[in-house]
Amino acid sequence: MAKNYNATVAKIMAIYGKRIMPQDYTEMMNKQSVPEVAEYLKKNTHYSELLSAIDTRTVHRGMLENLLHRSIFETYMRITGFEHISKQEFYNYKILQTEIDEILRCIRFINAGSQKMIADIPIYINPYTSFDLLELAKVTDFRELLSFLKKTPYYDVLREIHPDADGRVDVTRCETLLRSYYISRLKSSLKFKSQDVKLFTALLDTDTDLINVINSYRLTAFFDASDAVIERDMLPFYGRLSAAKQKEIYSARDSEEFIRRFSKTYYGKQMIENGYDINNLERSAQRLRYKYAKSMLKRSASAPLSVYAFIFLLEIEVQNIISIIEGIRYGIEVNKIASLIIM
Amino acid sequence: MSIEKMELVNIAGLTKDLDTVLVKLSDCGCFHIESATKMAGKKTGFTTLKEENPYTPLLKQLSEISTQSGVKFTSVDYKDVENESLSKLERYIRGIRKKLDIVKDKETKAAELLSVHEQAVYQVDHLQGIHADFEQLFACEHIKMRLGRLPVDSYSKLSYYDDKPFYFKYFSTEKEYYWGMYFVPVAYQEDVDGIFADLYFERTHIPDFVRGDPSEASKELHKMVEDDQKAIEDCKTQYDEILNKEMDRLCRIFSRLKSQHDNFDLRNKAAIVNDKFYIVGFIPKRESDSFLTMFDDLESVSVVLQPADANGKLEPPIKLKNNKFTEPFSMFVDMYGLPSYNGINPTAFVAVTYTLLFGIMFGDVGQGLVLAIAGALLWKFKKFALGPIITRVGISGAVFGLLYGSVFGYEELLDPVYESLGITFLPFKVMHNVTTILIGAIAIGVLIMIISILINVVTGIKNKKYEEALFGNNGIAGLVFFGSLLAGAVGTLFGVKMFTPVYVICLIILPLAAMFLREPLTYWVRGKKFEMEGGMTDFIASNFFEVFEFLLGYATNTLSFVRIGGFVLSHASMMLVVMALANHVSNVGVPLVVIFGNIFVMGLEGLLVGIQTLRLEFYEIFSRFYSGDGKPFTPVKINYDENIE
Repeated sequence: MAKNYNATVAKIMAIYGKRIMPQDYTEMMNKQSVPEVAEYLKKNTHYSELLSAIDTRTVHRGMLENLLHRSIFETYMRITGFEHISKQEFYNYKILQTEIDEILRCIRFINAGSQKMIADIPIYINPYTSFDLLELAKVTDFRELLSFLKKTPYYDVLREIHPDADGRVDVTRCETLLRSYYISRLKSSLKFKSQDVKLFTALLDTDTDLINVINSYRLTAFFDASDAVIERDMLPFYGRLSAAKQKEIYSARDSEEFIRRFSKTYYGKQMIENGYDINNLERSAQRLRYKYAKSMLKRSASAPLSVYAFIFLLEIEVQNIISIIEGIRYGIEVNKIASLIIM
Repeated sequence: MSIEKMELVNIAGLTKDLDTVLVKLSDCGCFHIESATKMAGKKTGFTTLKEENPYTPLLKQLSEISTQSGVKFTSVDYKDVENESLSKLERYIRGIRKKLDIVKDKETKAAELLSVHEQAVYQVDHLQGIHADFEQLFACEHIKMRLGRLPVDSYSKLSYYDDKPFYFKYFSTEKEYYWGMYFVPVAYQEDVDGIFADLYFERTHIPDFVRGDPSEASKELHKMVEDDQKAIEDCKTQYDEILNKEMDRLCRIFSRLKSQHDNFDLRNKAAIVNDKFYIVGFIPKRESDSFLTMFDDLESVSVVLQPADANGKLEPPIKLKNNKFTEPFSMFVDMYGLPSYNGINPTAFVAVTYTLLFGIMFGDVGQGLVLAIAGALLWKFKKFALGPIITRVGISGAVFGLLYGSVFGYEELLDPVYESLGITFLPFKVMHNVTTILIGAIAIGVLIMIISILINVVTGIKNKKYEEALFGNNGIAGLVFFGSLLAGAVGTLFGVKMFTPVYVICLIILPLAAMFLREPLTYWVRGKKFEMEGGMTDFIASNFFEVFEFLLGYATNTLSFVRIGGFVLSHASMMLVVMALANHVSNVGVPLVVIFGNIFVMGLEGLLVGIQTLRLEFYEIFSRFYSGDGKPFTPVKINYDENIE
């Protein structure tokens, strides 16, 4: 019988209690410079320990962002190590996610012909990954990447991809394949109580639905992609939005029509009910995901659900801080920065 | 132990005498001022003076000196500066500020230098592994060298650049960084600098003043830091010398200006018509004779005294009259709110009940006496307002400790004393009389509640609040109902058949009905006609629930007093635990366990009992007869605080 791991859930709630509050975001948004934001984080938030050795006057923005990302991973390791649940296959999801993110980043760098990937490699995860991230950063073309990934499951996932004459590959297709692989792996690792599996699957399906909506909206609005292309790049997992329903939405002739059709779906109605700007679909979809994760964390006493929801909320928190840092760095108005914050 | 009787004071005179009158009022220390325009009203033609206080700018300057230097100006006699003009004082204060600012600037510059040097020390100390002269290193022609720190994460990424012509050598590490230097041939400098920039390498620019190798440089820098610190200290000394030299005069000027400033502010309270002013306020009645004589030398000024409640627009302020025993407990009354002018001063009742209840719950001769001494010391040395209360309740605890026979947790220590005196009913062993303790606690509670209700009845009748006094749950109806129910219950317990039909109808149902119908009954007593708002259904529903709430209130309030017994038992139990622990340690350990156990129990129980007793006072006692809506008597006086609004 599956164990409860209540202590992990309690620990998560204790850490969650120290999260960044709306007033903290307001304080940070009103700062004049990145060092001031860093100083605020150091003095007033749960990041104080992380930033204790940092000289906030001189810290580089990129380094600060890397540190914040690292803190997510450290927290993840801390909570999964608390009752040693990290040994269970499911809790490897963060590593899996990072590996996929890094492979995708590598592909983007290959397409851009850049060698700068190394600077933001999350080297602290290297001891846990199935391949060496430093070696991945040395890869310069797609064939080299495939050969590098030969002994990993990602090889089978990506081998159908062929670069064009310039050596560039279709990143969206790669992303769809890799994310689909991730979701399949995640679903096959759900060896918990049936109730927990049901709830987790529902949360995952909601995430997948919203990711599909965001992707198909981007393809419709910005790339004028055909239905066939969009269909090919959809994640083949469906929650409240069936494949047919999704097709009905993305077969819209333009972005306005897309929004109109989407607004009649469950998620569209949810956005309107919650007062989110449905025209800013990507941001509103993130807000909805955030809301569901928050509600799941508060309602559920199950460790896998709590870990997954909590880490997602933490990622959003870091994303919010980075939005503020970048907003201040580029002199964006406070109310514009505020509109980027997901709460 | 009542409320100080007040008199309403009306002062009128010519505006030329206004300032003199205000000075006299603030000097007398017994005049509570009200806004005269509140009384005069618009139709009377009175206006208020809306003037800038001319003393504020100078006081602000003094306030800034005080804030900057941390000195506090005290109130002193200022006769010798009384006649100096404001412009002369202004010049003097400006001169002092200028002198102080010069020294402060020097100190700020020294502090900035100190910060630079400390930063350099921090950097150089991390580079102690370099056994070479900085100047020589920087002078290399073909190799460039960069000093600084590399994030730990980035250090792990250096192997990625194995094919690049640079060498990084670290000398020390800290949580997030490797401190060190990298060398690069001049030809590759740009490329490698770019790599390190990508890796968030933070370059340290060694200041020009750093000479020699890191060890020599560190010594030199530490010397500079010391010099900077000395320079700062010198500035502070100079600053203090200037202030000390001028402090007497500054205090005199401050006292004069503050006095004039605060008196000037009072002008806003006066009502003005043509060339006449009008001031209104209250004084304690017993001060009225001496108060009247204060204005004998001012011909234009006339003072009229009236009863405190002569003007409905002005509510008389409250000054509580307490004796030495009860005075400290007025703090609790203040916390709850002062009584109304025609109400009663509950301080004596609080003092007695608080002392008794605390003593009952905290009964221990030794601990009580320690608490009493601690309270006295806290008052003597720290002027801690709770000190005198602690002393009183400590003594009470000691007295009850005598009755319980408990001395620092030793429950048998007093047994021989009582035996030798032939007293057989004492000591009253707490742990052997649990039921008696709990029943006794409820009995005390009932007694206190009945007294509270009686006080409410008396004050209600005095203030003609008949609904509360006669028919309310804390009035006669409530008293009869509550008393009869309890008497009936006690009688039944002892086998006396109390609940006869007549008893139930007359003493239980009738008072309940009176409470239910308290509104129409009050109208009837006042000889007025009662009109039901919202119809019969509303009336029945709302009164039904209110009476139901009253009944619940009687039950919960009575049971609330069980906590007295609970704390008596918990105190004794905790000491039992301490003694049991003491029995399980070696002989050397016994005094330690007993001492620390006593300290722990005194601290914890003292706090809990103190809070619980206050809770009983506020919720179970005050709520029955006390509203706490009075305003305090605050005589006008000069506030010698440097902070200027």
